[in-house]
Order: sequence, then structure tokens, then C-alpha cells
Amino acid sequence: MPNMISLAQPQQRQFNPYTENGGTILAIAGADFSVIAGDTRQSEGYSIQTRYAPKVFRLTDKAVLAVNGFAADGNMFVKKVRQRLEWYRHAHAKDMPLRAIARLIQTMLYARRFFPFYVYNILGGIEEDGTGAVYSFDPVGSYEREACRAAGAAQSLVQPFLDNQIYFKNQTPAPGTSHPVHLPLSTVLALVIDSFTSATERHIEVGDGLEMYVVLSKGSTAFQSLGAIHGIQELTATEDGERVFVIRRELKKD
Amino acid sequence: MHHTKPLCPKPPSNASTMASPSIYTSPGFNFTNELRNNFMAEKGLPLPKATSTGTTIVGCLFKDGIILGADTRATEGPIVADKNCEKIHYITESIRCCGAGTAADTEFTTALISSNMELHALSIGRKPRVVTAMTMLKQMLFRNQGRIGAALVLGGVDSTGPHLFTIHPHGSTDKLPYVTMGSGSLAAMAVFESGWQPNMERAAALDLVKAAISAGIFNDLGSGSNIDACIITESQTDMLRNVEMPNPRVQKERGYTFRRGTTAWKTESVRDLVVKEEITFVGGDAMDTT
Amino acid sequence: MNSFAERFSTTSATAQMRIAQAAAADEEEFDGAMWGSDAGFGSLAKGVPSFSVPAVADPTSFLRLHTDDHADPNCRIKIKHGTTTLAFRFQGGVIVAVDSRATAGSYIASGTVKKVIEINPYLLGTMAGGAADCQYWETYLGMHCRLHELRNRERISVSAASKYLSNLVYGYKGMGLSMGTMICGWDKTGPAVFYVDSDGTRLKGDLFSVGSGSTHAYGVLDQGYRWDLTDEEAQELGRRSIYAAGHRDAYSGNTCNLYHVKEDGWKFIGNYDISQMHYDGPGDVPGAPGGGYGYDIRVEGRNSSNPPAVAAAA
Repeated sequence: MPNMISLAQPQQRQFNPYTENGGTILAIAGADFSVIAGDTRQSEGYSIQTRYAPKVFRLTDKAVLAVNGFAADGNMFVKKVRQRLEWYRHAHAKDMPLRAIARLIQTMLYARRFFPFYVYNILGGIEEDGTGAVYSFDPVGSYEREACRAAGAAQSLVQPFLDNQIYFKNQTPAPGTSHPVHLPLSTVLALVIDSFTSATERHIEVGDGLEMYVVLSKGSTAFQSLGAIHGIQELTATEDGERVFVIRRELKKD
Repeated sequence: MHHTKPLCPKPPSNASTMASPSIYTSPGFNFTNELRNNFMAEKGLPLPKATSTGTTIVGCLFKDGIILGADTRATEGPIVADKNCEKIHYITESIRCCGAGTAADTEFTTALISSNMELHALSIGRKPRVVTAMTMLKQMLFRNQGRIGAALVLGGVDSTGPHLFTIHPHGSTDKLPYVTMGSGSLAAMAVFESGWQPNMERAAALDLVKAAISAGIFNDLGSGSNIDACIITESQTDMLRNVEMPNPRVQKERGYTFRRGTTAWKTESVRDLVVKEEITFVGGDAMDTT
Repeated sequence: MNSFAERFSTTSATAQMRIAQAAAADEEEFDGAMWGSDAGFGSLAKGVPSFSVPAVADPTSFLRLHTDDHADPNCRIKIKHGTTTLAFRFQGGVIVAVDSRATAGSYIASGTVKKVIEINPYLLGTMAGGAADCQYWETYLGMHCRLHELRNRERISVSAASKYLSNLVYGYKGMGLSMGTMICGWDKTGPAVFYVDSDGTRLKGDLFSVGSGSTHAYGVLDQGYRWDLTDEEAQELGRRSIYAAGHRDAYSGNTCNLYHVKEDGWKFIGNYDISQMHYDGPGDVPGAPGGGYGYDIRVEGRNSSNPPAVAAAA
């Protein structure tokens, strides 16, 4: 028989501690808010491991971290980031500012330059000046502040849509007008939901559930124009600061 | 994993009579690029991905005949290529075949056998049998040594009664009362193993097939969208296209229409598509048209 | 390598492996700095930071197996590559120009990357190769340049800074770092440009371009370069060279970031969209000829299908 494993020759084995667990994450920054979202399906190959595995995590009242890639590395990484933020709180009696968390994540990822965390991170939240911000990272820690970013399995489906709808790429404004610099929260939430329902239709690893975290700047009125959103839950821990909410939606399960 | 990596195959041509195998004269598949493609694959360039029906297909016997079932998702790697494709193919009026594997292979293989079955029926002057189709299919697949990536569930009713087969890409076959194939076969078989009974009623058997396909749709990422079923009995065949649609498209939150003039342009030129014709008579008098 | 240096060096590759493997062996080693900030000196207290290494016989090939997308396009961890960067010295200082595209295979991972790293107000570094390697080590270099200032009461020379970086990455030679950078600045000797890469090369020179689009950039750069360029001409040359690379190299593009280093430090000149430069030009900037760099000259009366009026008459 051809291709029978021969024992006459030495066999080479490879250490492979990585797998890909599918799913997609996405974050968009507004003028005084930030939306960070992810689906909740975790898969390996053609099997669903669980229909509810959160990929988006509240770090502080002003910072939310989304992780995608290898779930075990992702969960461990979030755990370690939270531990460092806790220690920072003990040392300084305040929450770490967003840009400092971003730099912390860079150094933590780069510390594993030769044994990388197989994780794509997107950090969203509110800066010290009250503006909404999104930071995106590669697995070994290069990072950049952006207005929007999609990562994960359906990155190549979602990012072009966002480029068109958020950055208005390939859209010329009507004569005498210009594109808005920041979109209102209602529009951003609608774009996030549409991104995920569309990605669910066309990518097999995306689906089951959607979690959207909304971080509002201190005194932001972004929510007032929205009215009641069904299934919204407030996760804010401190008084009179930034506020964090989570909105959950169902996605197709096939 | 290359379980079936072919050794360099001989071109199936009569090389003794011809200087080089011509793609126009040699029958069957053309292997002229095989060597090049193997070389390129070795260099690390992957072959173009074929659309595959990472699939759940099933079939089961019931009191009056056979029920076949299939999902409707076609994939290209992790991308859904077709949300509502048809995987139950026509062989004859009372024989149908579900296909899993490479979409093009299942499509063409079943179409070819369907055509040959029709000719065979005309030649013998009787309704053709399921075993005939099964034999044609397995011989074709075996001849091609697994290079035709078709995994089939063949079912039908003929003069000898109902028959249900699975046919694997290398040509082996099974004859069983209930069968599943494709990436969702384990999920579907779990349903059959717990729910199938001999001599089931039509409605109960259809429900079981739907449940088996649903198990594939919801638990196997390669399967999805809708359920197709086909009920074949002695007297008639009912093709139940989209018998259940458990995954409807949700309403989008926003409309995505673009203002006229959204796309940038550099120059504008408007042409009249109506060609103006002017007739000039050359020589002689103009025809009298009064 | 000198065994004495090997034994006492904290930056050599073998020392790193020793430290990392020891750390991996006995649980996890927590740096005191991790608990707080050590008044801001946390990360400097213990010299060069340490790295985790997988517990396998050959960590380098392990890393390559999982990250090298040239050898295996299906490898899981994609590290961003593809770039055009350039820097040149001239009478009026140093011009630094880069594109802003990051690619992972054929996918454009980002079109807004900052490939000029502002090390301090007098030093710039460019980014080509691994984005994280450049970002991290040039930021780290910035910290040490500041320490040099505090210790010696004067700014570090560009030569010293680039040598510091060169020595640093040489310590990791063969372990998979990937960077090709130009350290640019102004010191006592005037404008200076040094090329440093992860192989350990360090070159002093007047004109460099690094990255997949460098050949395209050199074409424009070499034919337009003179020492006595005016500031405006030099800036236009940098812009035009990045445009050329962005236009022809699939792995470069999106926008051009332009910096000018003078005696009083660097200044950010502007960000220019490459397709906008192609059609309409860089806009109202000094030195630009006006009009698009590419589109007009290709279609408006100066190509074969629509030859110029003079040629048609002849």
C-alpha cells in the first residue's frame, strides 16, 4: 500500500499548540463613545464547540477588550491583562487610562515574541480626553489607533463594508457637502448588527449570538436619542464616570 | 493530509499510435496538466479551490418506499458559496441521487448516469432498476480511482422494490435501510440510530429525515440553510424542494442604496446609441415609391 | 562568540534563552515592576526585558513554522509585511517618506499604518519588516536615548542611537526578528541617516530606501536627487518617490507620510493619499508641479491612442 507510515525511517513530530477557533470581532469609535462587538460561536474545524463563548470583555469602565483567534490563548491573555490592571489599581488607586492599557498590551504580546499568543486583539473605550478610541493589535504587539477595525474569520468580509460605510471609501459626497467625521451611536449600532448578520450568512464560522459593548464618555448623551433598546444591560461599576453597556442579539445558528 | 495522492498517472491515450496525446482525440479526462499541477503543488502553490458541498445528505427506507434528504448549503472553504443549492439530483423518474463532495463532480456524474439510464431504459423497454444506476456509478468512480470527488446516496423504487445505496468516491457501495453522508453524516446518523424503525409511516419517516438534516444543519458548519426532501414510492415521486426553511434571512437594520453620482469619474461622454443612417443612391434614378 | 562575553552578556541570544527557559521551568517569574510602576523605572530596573520561549529543542524553527508566511501561506499567525520607506540627507536636512499599507498575504490588513516612529523630537525611525519588531525596539530605543540624555547631559548622536539598536537586535540574530529601518536625525555632525536591519547590518549613508517597493522608489529618487535640493524640491521628491512605489508595488500604497528633519528637530509635513496624487496631485503644497502625477499624463493627449497635437500634425 502506498503512503503507509513506515517505521524504518525516523518520524518527525511537530509541536503544535495552536488551533483556530473562528468567530469575528469588530470595534468602531464615535465622537464620545465606542462600540466593541463579537459573535459568540466557538468552533474547531466543522464542529461547534459552544454557541456561547464570549470574545468581548469589560476591562474597566472605560476599556473593553475583544480577542479573537485561538480561544485558549485569548482567555489566558485577557486573564493576564485583568491581573495587571488590578495590580495597577492597587498601586495607583485609579483605573489605567486607555492609551496606557494599549501600550501594556503591546509589551505583554511582545514578551511572547518567540512563542506568540495566537490572538488578534481589539481594544475599545474612552480616552482621557473623553473621545472614543479603538486600538487594534497583531499577535506580536504592533498596534495602531483607528476609527474602526474588524478582525477574525470574517475580517475580509466585514472590513471592506466598514471602510465604505464608516470611512466612506469609494463614495464621493454630493456637490457642496462633505462626509460626517463621526457617526451617531444609532447608526453605528445598526452597522454593527448588519455586519454580523451578513457575516453570519456568508461565513460558516460566524453565528449563534452577538454581544455589543457600548462605552459612553462621561456625561455623554449618545443614548438619549435611542430610546429603549431591548435586552440592554448596564455593567458600569463606578459612579459619575464612563458607562459601559452590553446589548445582546441572536444570530442564525446554522 | 494526502491519503490519496496519486502516483503520476499515465495519460489514457493510445500513445503508440500518436506522437503526443491530443486533447481533441483522446476520450475521457485530459491529464496533460497533471505533471505541471503536481509540480506546482509541490512548490507550495495550492490548486484552485473547487466548490464543495460540505454537506448533510441522508436517505431512509419506509413502508412505501424511500425518502431522501439534503441540506442546501454549498461552501468554498469557510465561505458560503450558495445558500440554496439543490443536492438531490434526478436520475430517472423513480430514482434520485443525493450528492456530497465536489459540487461539479456530483453534478456531472449524476447527469451522465441519468442520461445513460434513459438510453438504457429505451433500449430495454422497461423501467430501469436502482442497482443498474448504482453499478454504473460505482464503475465510473472506481475507474477514476477517487479523482472524482463524489460521495453519493442513491435511492429509488423499481420492479424489485425500494433500494437505498451509498457510493463512496473510490467506488465502494453499501446497501442499508438508512444512510447518511457528507460532513454532517455523524450528526444525521445519530438521529437515525435513535429514531429509525422498520415500516415507518410516510409522515413519521419524513419527520425523521427532516430531524436528521436539521441535526446536520445546526451542528455541522459545512451544512446549513434549508431542507430538501424527496419521497419515492412505487406510484409516484414527490420532490419536496425547501420543505422546511429554518434559517430565514433577517431584515437588515439599514438600507444600502447609493446616491446617483456616488462613484467618482474623470470624464463624461454621452453617445447616441441610435445609429443615424443616411441613404445615398448611386447611379440610376431613385426608385419610384409612390 | 567570545565565551567571556557570552557568560556575562544579558542581551545575547543564548542568555535570553537561558533566562527564558529558567523562567518557564519554575512556574512564572513575576517582575516586581508588574505589581506597580516602580515610579516609572519598572521596565528599566532589570535591563533588557525577557521573553518567553517555547519548551522545544529548536524554538527558532518553531516560530518560523507558525509565522513565516513566505514559506507557508497557510501558517496561522500572519505577521504584517510589505512596505516602501525612504530617507535621504541633503543640504536642508533629512527627508523621511513612507507609505501606510500593511499586508498579510494578499489581504490589505491596514491602510493607515504609521511607519515613521517618532523616537524623540530629534530622531525618527522607519518601519519595514515586522511591524511589532520595529515598533517595540524603536520605542525601547527611545527610552535609552532619554537615559543617555540624563546621564550625559547631551542628546545622543544618531550614530550612537543607531548602533545601540543594531547591537540590540544583533543579540537576537537568527531568532526570527525582522526589521529594516532607517534611523534619521540631526546631531552635532548635522543631518544623519543610518540603515539598520535585523541581520545586524548598520550603514551610514546619504540615501536609502527599504521594502518591497524600494526599487520603484529608487528609480524616482536617484534621478531627482542632488545634495543642493531646496526644502520644497526635496519634499516633493520624497512624495513623488513614494507615489511611484505605491502605484507600481501591490504591497505598498494607500497614503504617504512625509517628515522633514532640520536642526531644531523633525517636523511632520503631511499625509498624502496616493490615488489622489495619481489623479489630482498632492494638493496645494510647495514644490508640487500642480496636477496629477500619473493619470493626466497617461490619458490627456500624450499617449498612443490619443497622441499629442504636435506629433499628430507631423
